[in-house]
Amino acid sequence: MSASANVEVNINDCEVADPKKLAAFEAHVAAGGLIESNDWMPDAYRTLMLRMAEHHANSEIVGSLPEGEWITRAPSLLRKLALTAKVQDEVGHGQMLYEVAQDLGKSRNAMLRDLITGVTKYHNCFNYPCPTWADICMIAWLIDGAAILNQGTLAHGSFGPYIRTMRRINMEEAFHFKHGEDMVLTLMRGTEHQKQMAQEAFDRWWGPSIAFFGPNDRPDERERPAMKWRMKTATNDELRQKFVNRFAPAAMATGLVINVCEKDEKGIVTSATPDPLLKLDEETGNWSFTQPDWDEFFRVIRGNGPCNDERLALRRFSYEQGEWVRKAILHGSTTPNNN
Amino acid sequence: MLSEARSNAIAKSNSGELSSSEVEGFQVWEVFTQKKDGDIHLHTGSLSAPDLALAKMFAREHYGQDQICVSLWVGERDSFKSLGGDKETYEVFVQKDAGSRHEHAGSVDAINGKDAREKCKEQFIKDNAFCTIWACPLSKLSKIESSIDMIWRETTDQSYRLAKGYSKVVRQKWEALRATKAVDKYQSEDLEDTF
Repeated sequence: MSASANVEVNINDCEVADPKKLAAFEAHVAAGGLIESNDWMPDAYRTLMLRMAEHHANSEIVGSLPEGEWITRAPSLLRKLALTAKVQDEVGHGQMLYEVAQDLGKSRNAMLRDLITGVTKYHNCFNYPCPTWADICMIAWLIDGAAILNQGTLAHGSFGPYIRTMRRINMEEAFHFKHGEDMVLTLMRGTEHQKQMAQEAFDRWWGPSIAFFGPNDRPDERERPAMKWRMKTATNDELRQKFVNRFAPAAMATGLVINVCEKDEKGIVTSATPDPLLKLDEETGNWSFTQPDWDEFFRVIRGNGPCNDERLALRRFSYEQGEWVRKAILHGSTTPNNN
Repeated sequence: MLSEARSNAIAKSNSGELSSSEVEGFQVWEVFTQKKDGDIHLHTGSLSAPDLALAKMFAREHYGQDQICVSLWVGERDSFKSLGGDKETYEVFVQKDAGSRHEHAGSVDAINGKDAREKCKEQFIKDNAFCTIWACPLSKLSKIESSIDMIWRETTDQSYRLAKGYSKVVRQKWEALRATKAVDKYQSEDLEDTF
């Protein structure tokens, strides 16, 4: 397979698999079997898995950018230690996932360059602004909470190297999430000013959190390769419902109000009204809710979000700042204790 | 939001061609970690590095500080997978089924990688099922065991970077706001803090 597969690859363009091998592969996966790097796999499986790992890796390293900017402004030494550890964890997740993608056939350097030049994407939720410390609290609670729900299901996927990475990542996400809960609960037990700051940040992040799981399911979702081959084990709408069921009542218990918001082009909320659809269906246990603004979602994905340019500029800056390190490594540096 | 100084520095750097040295073709290294004395070493992931010194440094950074870790073993991927090699002691690692991690089974004296796998089957696996075996010559496996070499320090409080460091206080804060049953239900979807 080409070593430069990217998100634009149409899986119909992939090499057609030998029908016998494909049937055996699909039977193995359907029976709960796992695939390791050296096993035979259809070209389309390899391409999709590579795209998934690369997109995930991109999201990890871009996601740490807004958080990294707040390290110097953390409100206490403990928060600073924890945020530093979280940012370092996220970049570590990026390294592990790039390693998985690299083993599937695309070079590290090509992936880092494609991210900066806009050839590949990262998770949409990182295109929104973080104007206050409360945004850092909401990201750790809601976005890491959403990521955990999603990655918990990805850890039951079919590709061995990816699910092992998911399990390690999830353990670190558990810390980010608990720390996020602690921060949100601290704000909501604080002064009126802290509560207001938390509510404003919640208004900015509730929409991106429920949009986190991606567009609504298509009728044939389960027949599509990602689910048929068990790379994904739950649909976007299933995960979104699970998220709302868990987080809506929890947010309300802290005193937060779940609003439907309108935002300006900078991502700042211009109007907020309580979600008129928010209601628990006692029979099913499901909460109904207003869907995310999908027009906004697709506008942001296409590169026209409040922070797309800023995030990519910062990633590029970081990449260029690291140039001397790459040069030092390339020119055969080894420390004296090369034992 | 970026500080003004950051924004200015970034604005200056964001023009022209993307400069980069081509960091390609580095060897892949496999890393094993041990959570506490007496535990076996488990495969924890891989990394790319041009030589052993940097591989060890990256291993400490990436796998030795995010989670509890008292010892790291690092070796080139090829050393684990090769069936060749010389007569010496090999550390053998068994993956019990697809998807699981390679676990250190023990060491064997063997004439090459292939022989080390046979000995591993005889001595450690016996009649049990397994998926793959890795065998690494002792001379090609770098062990980082001294506590001075580890980033994770048992002597300082690292609980701020573990979920369990917050569990108690978070639970108390939730219980002040919600009924115990509701908190239980909410927390039933927490991830376990172990791997």
